Amino acid sequence: MKVILAQHGGQAAGINLNRPPKVIDSAALDEPKAAELKRLVAAANSAPSSAASSGKARDEMSYTITIQDQGRETVLSQSDTTMSADFAKLLAWLQRYPKN
Amino acid sequence: MFSNHCRCINCITPPHILKKLLENSDSRIRDAALRTLLTTSRLRGERTIRGLLASAALVSSQGRRTISDCGNSISLPAATIGRTEEGPTSTDESVNRAFVGLGKTREFYKEALDRDSLDGNGMRLNGYVHYDASYNNAFWDGSEMIFGDGDDVLFTDFTKSLDVIAHELTHGVTEFTAGLRYHKQSGALNESISDVFGSLVKQWAATPKQTTDQADWLIGAEVFTPDINADALRSMKNPGKAYNNPTLGRDPQPDHMSKYVDMPDTDAGDHGGVHINSGIPNKAFYLTSIGIGGYAWQAPGQIWYAALQASTSTTDFQEFADTTYLKAGQMYGSQGAEQQAVLSAWKEVGIRVSGALALAGTTARMRRPMADISNGRDEDQADVARKIEQLTGQLATLSKQVANLRSKPH
Repeated sequence: MKVILAQHGGQAAGINLNRPPKVIDSAALDEPKAAELKRLVAAANSAPSSAASSGKARDEMSYTITIQDQGRETVLSQSDTTMSADFAKLLAWLQRYPKN
Repeated sequence: MFSNHCRCINCITPPHILKKLLENSDSRIRDAALRTLLTTSRLRGERTIRGLLASAALVSSQGRRTISDCGNSISLPAATIGRTEEGPTSTDESVNRAFVGLGKTREFYKEALDRDSLDGNGMRLNGYVHYDASYNNAFWDGSEMIFGDGDDVLFTDFTKSLDVIAHELTHGVTEFTAGLRYHKQSGALNESISDVFGSLVKQWAATPKQTTDQADWLIGAEVFTPDINADALRSMKNPGKAYNNPTLGRDPQPDHMSKYVDMPDTDAGDHGGVHINSGIPNKAFYLTSIGIGGYAWQAPGQIWYAALQASTSTTDFQEFADTTYLKAGQMYGSQGAEQQAVLSAWKEVGIRVSGALALAGTTARMRRPMADISNGRDEDQADVARKIEQLTGQLATLSKQVANLRSKPH
């Protein structure tokens, strides 16, 4: 399973445009880490946004997490003001992951 | 028959076109345009009075500030209060910087633009610091301000930048005035307005206050860690040159319409490049300020603020440029140095003010004393001018009466 994180917008939108997405291949992780990632992905995948966008937020960041697994691709997109708790946990895990 | 046809323009004809029609040699066209302008003025007056009456029913919060600490969580309800208007100074510098930044911005709007907080009616100012862990951003969530600490690799604490704080609060002002849609050109204008007034707050709050040639015209110069070789997030003086290094890439902001970046209206496309194309109106404001000189929150800031208030949710660059030109003429005199600086600035970024000569002529006539207006074609305009003055007088009287109502104890 590959998980790809792209971050958009925010005060540093111009910088975020230039930065490549972060790619994490679970095959390169040790078993407990890979299992943790799989669990977080499953939880985020089944959690809808916590709130509908008000359309009033400015400079908030949005996040696209693409999951490629066994020939299937799933795309999750949420933002600072709409993300679910499970999406936030997956996002935090991916942001902490040190390798690109 | 003809006049019926002309009445249709009540609904859709922009004011600058109507004003141009006042110059038409056909008296029927002039009449129709004048009637439309009068109707618009009356409706605007009604809206103003309705707004005043509605606000009179509210009790102002006097822009009272509260800063809360998220403790590196993303939950705002779980945040703890860090400092209030009556409370002592915090031991947390992020809390204090946000508190002072909100206060400086509130003072700027009050003293420089005579605006009582973001909504014009003393709206409370709530800020949240230490949002999330290593969060590289600050944003306006639609009613409150949120600041991240930065990851300490690229970015540091976003409360360190006063212009970033004022930028976010100005999104609130824009929402309560023009309500510029956050997409494509109106979105880029929304971002530019926040940069303009963000920079003006910094220039105004500096000790000593900064003139246009003393200001750095940078947005977010303080948010990078010392290891990052970058001037700022954006440069109003030199869009596209705020940074250029292997870590951050190159600043993608254009400084001219010929370099406008057409991006998709999606999250990944920055809603059509709202943070990218804002470089164009940013540069126009910078050039206007340099052209006029002195303190930028005076004539340039007043013109931009008046244009913002006269704008709508769909105003684009061209319409905003036209409005700043018209406002400059109305506020500082047709063909004056201020209006010429506005015209020249927009031209330099590739935007020609629509019908500049016609607008200038209209502004000049509107400013002429009544005694100068003679007969024939000008009689129509004299009549209109009298009616507008009467309406303005009635509106002023009503406004005073409402203001008196508001000042009485509840």
